[in-house]
Amino acid sequence: MSRPSARKAAPKGEYIETDSGNKVSRRSAITGTANITLGGRTVIMADVHLRGDLHPTRAVPSSSGKEATPTSISIGRCTVISTGSVIKPPSRISRGQVHYYPMKIGDNVFIGPHCTISAISISSHVHIGEHTTIQPFVIIKENVKILPHAVVPANMVIPSGSVVGGRPAQVVGEVGEGWGVSGGGAGGGLGVGGGGEKSWVEGGDLRELVRSVK
Amino acid sequence: MARPFPYTYYACDCFDNKVTGVSTKRASTQPQSPEDEDERTFDPKNPRSNYSLYPLEHLLYCEDCLQVRCARCVVEETIAWYCPSCLFEVPSSVVKSDGNRCTRNCYNCPVCMAPMTVSSLEDPTDPSASGGPWILACPYCHWSTAETGIEFEKHTGITAQLSRIANGGKLIPTSKERDKQRERQKELENSKSRNGMLSGSEDSPTADSNKGDGPPSHDDLFSNLSAFYKQQLAAQTPSNPFSPHDINFSSPSSFSRIMNLYSSTTSKKQKREKPTPMREAASVLEGLTIHDASVDAVAIERIKQSGWSSTLSPSQKLAQSTPNMRFDNELRPVATLLHTKCGKRCRSCRHILSKPENKITSTRYKIKLLALHHIPRLSLRHLANPSTNPVPPASAPTFNYNELKSGIPTHFLLHLSNPIFEPIKVTLATPQITPGKIQSRVTILCPQFDVGANTDVWDDALGSSLDPIRHQGGSGGIEAGKIWDRGRNWTSVVIEIVPGFLRDPLAEEGVDDLDEDEDILEIPIFVRLEFEADVNAEDRGLSDSRGERAAREKREEAFWTVVAVGRIAEV
Repeated sequence: MSRPSARKAAPKGEYIETDSGNKVSRRSAITGTANITLGGRTVIMADVHLRGDLHPTRAVPSSSGKEATPTSISIGRCTVISTGSVIKPPSRISRGQVHYYPMKIGDNVFIGPHCTISAISISSHVHIGEHTTIQPFVIIKENVKILPHAVVPANMVIPSGSVVGGRPAQVVGEVGEGWGVSGGGAGGGLGVGGGGEKSWVEGGDLRELVRSVK
Repeated sequence: MARPFPYTYYACDCFDNKVTGVSTKRASTQPQSPEDEDERTFDPKNPRSNYSLYPLEHLLYCEDCLQVRCARCVVEETIAWYCPSCLFEVPSSVVKSDGNRCTRNCYNCPVCMAPMTVSSLEDPTDPSASGGPWILACPYCHWSTAETGIEFEKHTGITAQLSRIANGGKLIPTSKERDKQRERQKELENSKSRNGMLSGSEDSPTADSNKGDGPPSHDDLFSNLSAFYKQQLAAQTPSNPFSPHDINFSSPSSFSRIMNLYSSTTSKKQKREKPTPMREAASVLEGLTIHDASVDAVAIERIKQSGWSSTLSPSQKLAQSTPNMRFDNELRPVATLLHTKCGKRCRSCRHILSKPENKITSTRYKIKLLALHHIPRLSLRHLANPSTNPVPPASAPTFNYNELKSGIPTHFLLHLSNPIFEPIKVTLATPQITPGKIQSRVTILCPQFDVGANTDVWDDALGSSLDPIRHQGGSGGIEAGKIWDRGRNWTSVVIEIVPGFLRDPLAEEGVDDLDEDEDILEIPIFVRLEFEADVNAEDRGLSDSRGERAAREKREEAFWTVVAVGRIAEV
């Protein structure tokens, strides 16, 4: 992020905000930016490592003159990736060569601090607790809560509406019917969540949280 | 599922309502009289409370009973079965015939329960045509079926292949082959016994070859036993199926005939043969297992050699389909258990409370009546001392809910937000001293207040008539009997908590009999609401609905909640 300061910029904050409202920390480590798409209003916090450089190599069309840039990580809207997490596309060795596969993260996904994510797909309204490891090629469906310190084994499919925890992770319960419902517009920006200080609901709309990140 | 502090749980009183009648009868076990029951405060440390406390998201609301419904007071009805691993729906007929496990390629590791993958064991220098042989391997603990000597020829249809291969690679005979073999062995044995009677001992070589296999497997024994019982039942049923006695119990038509026998008086006179008593299994071929001490000796020898690590843990044993295995070389991959998608009904009025869409892939609901939309949400937050800095800067150290200071009065904000479209009158009540071994003092400074209706969100923005509340004065604006702050549909009041001491400071050293999680400060709060609402359309009846416009009735609702503040720190 060392840009020659030709013109006087606004006072530097922690985050760089893009036109579509993405907030990317200046202290995050993002490699291969061309291969990463952010849906808008997505927050990338400090010390997050996005490995966009690990992109699929096979799909590149060599016949046409212009090469299309392959996507390695695509992240939806209002998704929050907390400090110290690593997002690394999954890879597989085939015929002696390492191949990376593009990974997709949906909308309103919360990834807690210090996670290592290698899932092939994470659907919307997923809450991932802190210090979680998600091994390669995991598929996480909608409305899933992953408890802190879980290790989700490779190739696992987590059906929608489940609570997952343990090492290796297993389905330990169901999120209630009220998962992600913010309860009739509770005002005041306080205590909407499980009864605490948070002004947002796990698995719900993360817009409030994104707005509060500064 | 531990939640971060602070959190609020809501008590569903369905269970207590049901048991009061029973408990009063048993005066010896429950000395409380029904009057006491009303006076009694809710004790969150009571072991029974575990079963009645739920987070608000898990509760439903029956609009006909006007009551909260928890997991225990709803009836579930299964809408569909599906495999959580391949997400295919399994029709109910298949569930009935094939059981509640996935019959595709979904298997879990018998050691760690992680989902297994089909991997190739192909030798790169000598590739095979099919790419095989294949094994099931666990990506998490690296156990694979190669350890128990199972390899597959194809990478599809694992269930069919696995059902034919025993551990070690031997083929499992099908039920038909089993039947044939049993017949053959029986004939051999019969002829042998006849021969034995005639000409002393003369072993037939074919019978001996089978004996070298060791004890028969669980499946063999089961098929032998079931064949034996079937045979016994067949012997009981007479040749004439229409005779009034000696009935095949498994057929529903004959069962109805039995019922007729008992109801009609005419057939009673008919003489009935006494049925011959059924015999029990008497040999291995009939499914009898005789305890063999040598099997135990072998098992003990095995533990001596390879130690405990070769034995199975109870959970691993439970996951297996045959319950009596002991060693890790007997493990079989566990087929994935199916999940269900359920709708829920109120247990008392049978109205549907939640009904998800039929499709497995859909996460939407056709009907969903949440308690969230009917019950105010309580939440707690630490109140930074307002006298020192009225607007706490963002950099202020966050309050650590895991280390509450014993004996120091701490102020918290109790925030109540109203989801219904009527203004509500709220009365809060809490025991002065929390139940449990650690006694903390709790004071709600303003236990009675109003909360506005949940009207249009824009009322807030358009500047409604609410005056902002100013907090002034020496004590930082905290006044008894006054609310702290309010908004369109929420009100917050101050609650003062003096966390108790983990150990009595006056007591002797070494008194440490606190249970697990006894240091969590939980406050039971009784919430009572009063509001006016439209009379239910069903109660009102359609005829007079137009005449009186919007008949109103006074409603009241009351429930216990438990607010967990945090953990009390060691002094």
